[in-house]
Amino acid sequence: MIVPIGPIHPALKEPIRLKLQTEGERVVKAEIEYGYVHRGIEKIIEGKTWQKGIYLSERVCGICSYEHTQTFAETIEAISDVDVPPRAQFLRVIANELDRIQSHLLANSTFFKSMDHETLFMHVLELREYAMDSIELLTGNRVNMGWNVVGGVKMDADERHFEPILENLKKIEERFEIVRSLFAEGPALALRCKGIGYMSKKEAIKGRAVGPIGRASGVKEDYRVGHYTYDDYFDFKVIRRTEGDNYARTLTRYDEIPESISLVRQAIENIPDGEVRTPAEIKSGYAMRRNEAPRGEVTYMIETNGNLIKNISIRTPSIPNMDSCAKYMIRDVPTVADAVSTYASCDPCVACAERVAITNEAGKTLVKRWDEVI
Amino acid sequence: MLDAIKDVVRKSSIHVCIVNCGGCNGCDVECVALLSPRYDLEQFGIYVHNNPREADVLLLTGAVTEQWKDNLKRIYDKAPEPKIAVAVGNCPISGDVFAQEGGHVNAPASNFIPVAAEIPGCPPRPNEILEAILAVGPQAIADRGREQK
Repeated sequence: MIVPIGPIHPALKEPIRLKLQTEGERVVKAEIEYGYVHRGIEKIIEGKTWQKGIYLSERVCGICSYEHTQTFAETIEAISDVDVPPRAQFLRVIANELDRIQSHLLANSTFFKSMDHETLFMHVLELREYAMDSIELLTGNRVNMGWNVVGGVKMDADERHFEPILENLKKIEERFEIVRSLFAEGPALALRCKGIGYMSKKEAIKGRAVGPIGRASGVKEDYRVGHYTYDDYFDFKVIRRTEGDNYARTLTRYDEIPESISLVRQAIENIPDGEVRTPAEIKSGYAMRRNEAPRGEVTYMIETNGNLIKNISIRTPSIPNMDSCAKYMIRDVPTVADAVSTYASCDPCVACAERVAITNEAGKTLVKRWDEVI
Repeated sequence: MLDAIKDVVRKSSIHVCIVNCGGCNGCDVECVALLSPRYDLEQFGIYVHNNPREADVLLLTGAVTEQWKDNLKRIYDKAPEPKIAVAVGNCPISGDVFAQEGGHVNAPASNFIPVAAEIPGCPPRPNEILEAILAVGPQAIADRGREQK
């Protein structure tokens, strides 16, 4: 029997259709139907200047909107040989890590909501508000920050901003251990998570799983390692687990939060003086950059012609994660309720998953180079 | 007398369904933030459960994409009377940045279903959303209930 879930359903926050093939209560196979949120952002950006492009790229995804603008700006900087001043790089790290904290807390809280544990959902969501306050204080907005420009960041920040941010981080840290141990050591939740939605390392690589979902299965990619700012100035640990189940995915996201808090502290302590923005002259050319968004790897490939964007292709982490979720995680879960919570544990973001896919007659997705597609 | 009792009941218990018809998720996360203890939506008798069949208020977010052209009306018809739709964010009002050459959106949403209130912003702050629901919702639902009789 096939159980359809969505596009509008109490279990889902975003429009997507899950088709679960069941035998009795056991789910044997799952299929995901995309296409409810396709807006054509890449096509709109073509032929526009970067000032308009960066505004649109922020609206690819509302939850991890920050990393999209940073990657967009870094790609244009790579084309035009612009060096970002160190102070701007540090400010970018602060905003990036605050965004990661709020995104991970939101992902975990929706996971608890999907398991019907509303108490923990409320606790985690309250902690998230402190991160949102810090983001608003630093950038002026809560969700779409509008903080990056090519050549640096829009505004400077000083002690008046940093001190309340540090206070907010302290508040998160004080209660973080409680909400973590409620999940990690509480018997009710852990029993429903351990061993459910298992994905091995081999399957994670085959399904191209990225970010915390891949790292929970033992994949070691974190694109902050290799980023010039993080390599030159910062010290952090990549969180990896090997279990590959719902429990590991949630704990990976939990454990990345203290690392992010320590990165924000390092940035605020060591921030150098100087300019926050350099004038940039946009050149023609092509560049590709990868960055680590809260959900995994975000890739931007941009070709410019003069100061206009000729082609742009965006690769977001949600499609590989949701694909590997449908293929491997929801393959043999014991109940339909567990299938929904497994889907929530892969941190799906439908808004950034809506890309163009080209299929052949047999329905098989062809992987094409980005310039062949257009 | 019966109408007065019905009005009180309708005003004090509002069930909300978030319908994302093609947005960037920004407005949806702000609606989820409303559930947090800081804003505490439930103290006003509002409950979010995302089921259109039980909803009194449909919170529309997102510019209407191709797939939603027919489905939006179907979702609206599934909600029981009295019901209202509230447009959250710039997208259902005007299409925002997506309503230009190359985009596949069919904003505004009021072309497809009647919209009772509009909350502009990209995205609006949670307290603005809450304020709008509380200002418009209870009275509009009560009025619509009397009309439907």
